[in-house]
Amino acid sequence: MMYTYKEKNNLIYKLNSRTAISYIFLLVLFSLIMSHPFFLLGLLLAVGVVIISADIVREWIVYLKVSLGFIIIIVLVNCIFVKAGRTVLWWGPYIPGLGKLRITLEALCYAVGMGLRFLVIISAFCLFNYTVHPDKLLKLLGKSGNRVVLALSLSTRLFPVMMGDYHRIKEVQRCRGVNFQEKRLWRKAQKYIPIMNIMLISGLERSFQLAEAMEARGYSLEGKSYYSLELWRPRDFVIFAALGLATALGIWLMILGVTDYQYYPVLNDINWKDGLQAGFFSMLLMIPAVLNWGWNKWPLLRSKI
Amino acid sequence: MITWKYERRAITSKEVALLATMGTLAAALRIPFAVVMSVQPATFIIMITGYVFGAGPGFIVGMMTPLVSNFFLGQGPWTPWQMLAWGLSGAGAALLASKEKRFNIKTFTVLSGLWGYIFGWIMNIWHWLGFIYPLTFSTFFATYAISFPADTMHGVGNIVFSLTFGKTFYNILSRYKKKITVVNFTEK
Repeated sequence: MMYTYKEKNNLIYKLNSRTAISYIFLLVLFSLIMSHPFFLLGLLLAVGVVIISADIVREWIVYLKVSLGFIIIIVLVNCIFVKAGRTVLWWGPYIPGLGKLRITLEALCYAVGMGLRFLVIISAFCLFNYTVHPDKLLKLLGKSGNRVVLALSLSTRLFPVMMGDYHRIKEVQRCRGVNFQEKRLWRKAQKYIPIMNIMLISGLERSFQLAEAMEARGYSLEGKSYYSLELWRPRDFVIFAALGLATALGIWLMILGVTDYQYYPVLNDINWKDGLQAGFFSMLLMIPAVLNWGWNKWPLLRSKI
Repeated sequence: MITWKYERRAITSKEVALLATMGTLAAALRIPFAVVMSVQPATFIIMITGYVFGAGPGFIVGMMTPLVSNFFLGQGPWTPWQMLAWGLSGAGAALLASKEKRFNIKTFTVLSGLWGYIFGWIMNIWHWLGFIYPLTFSTFFATYAISFPADTMHGVGNIVFSLTFGKTFYNILSRYKKKITVVNFTEK
């Protein structure tokens, strides 16, 4: 059992984890604050370009497919239950408790906008899962806490061991004649009961050994040493500068009210100037992909950043 | 808050190892049960940990379970809500334990069944707040109605796990708790 994270040879993977996490955090934050479809589309475009440049398109498609179920729920709830819109597209039958079913253009557009928001968030998490190593994240968390993060780190190490235990115990049971291919669900479930009990007991026994090993390495001593091997490189400063610009621009546009869009009771007029601003905002967030392109193309730039 | 309080306490290496083990067990057993929608032993394992060891360990094991398992299954916007929901289930079971003198499988099973729904309700909050507008009673009800079958499956699964493993897990964990508890007989 392995992490979802897979190391690849491109700049996105070689960023400082603080840079990568800040970028992803800002994407999610902006997608939650902004409701204008142009800006949501711009965010999706930006994260999509970075994902493509990070060479994780195949993984991204899986995430997009999984998102479809959530988006269908978003569309259904907004279209069927929200009656705030005025432009009726379709009158449906009478439904007890709900009244006469009506689907409005405003509800449909709002659902599409929120579907875009969901895609931005899911894509940002896809980027996080595949480009930020869990150990680096835990190391960052380790600065704020000690014991809980230590337990978390131990847990990520124990996870593959326990999955190995699970398969080993199952194999032993199979050798003893236990049939895990039973057709009846309850009979099948019964075969798994001993596995869970053995996993608990062996896990607890292992935790004693683990505790002793921790004591031997000075767990209970006062003070904690901390070091980080992660370097800050020019690429991180360039991306942070772009993020700073994007944040300043985003806040300014939010104050002007450009990033908001009123869906109800009738749709706001579309101002194509907003599209230009969203495009410029999106381009700032594509800087990691541009740097990655240069990093792959020019060895000199690679050596400098 | 609970995590911060726990950090301030002097925790032994055995307690840290226990948290890691229970968190891993709950996370690891999510994988084989992932094929059956919403049925997973994680809630039961977190609750029995909270019941035996108290609110702090219960909450932390609940908080760790999704974070660790999602490193392997995939993190998403659901992770923080899962951390909260499972953390509270561990703390909730500890609250039940504080009201009872000895382990009562019936009340524990009822609570675990209810947590199937409470877990789903907490998980629905982000969906309702983030993607539905206006926030009315009917949209709230609709969001919760859609998750009802999955929540019922989760609740039924918790009941089955509690009835099947409740007493065994309680006895094993209680014995382990006695082994790691240090009793100080020093007279004042």
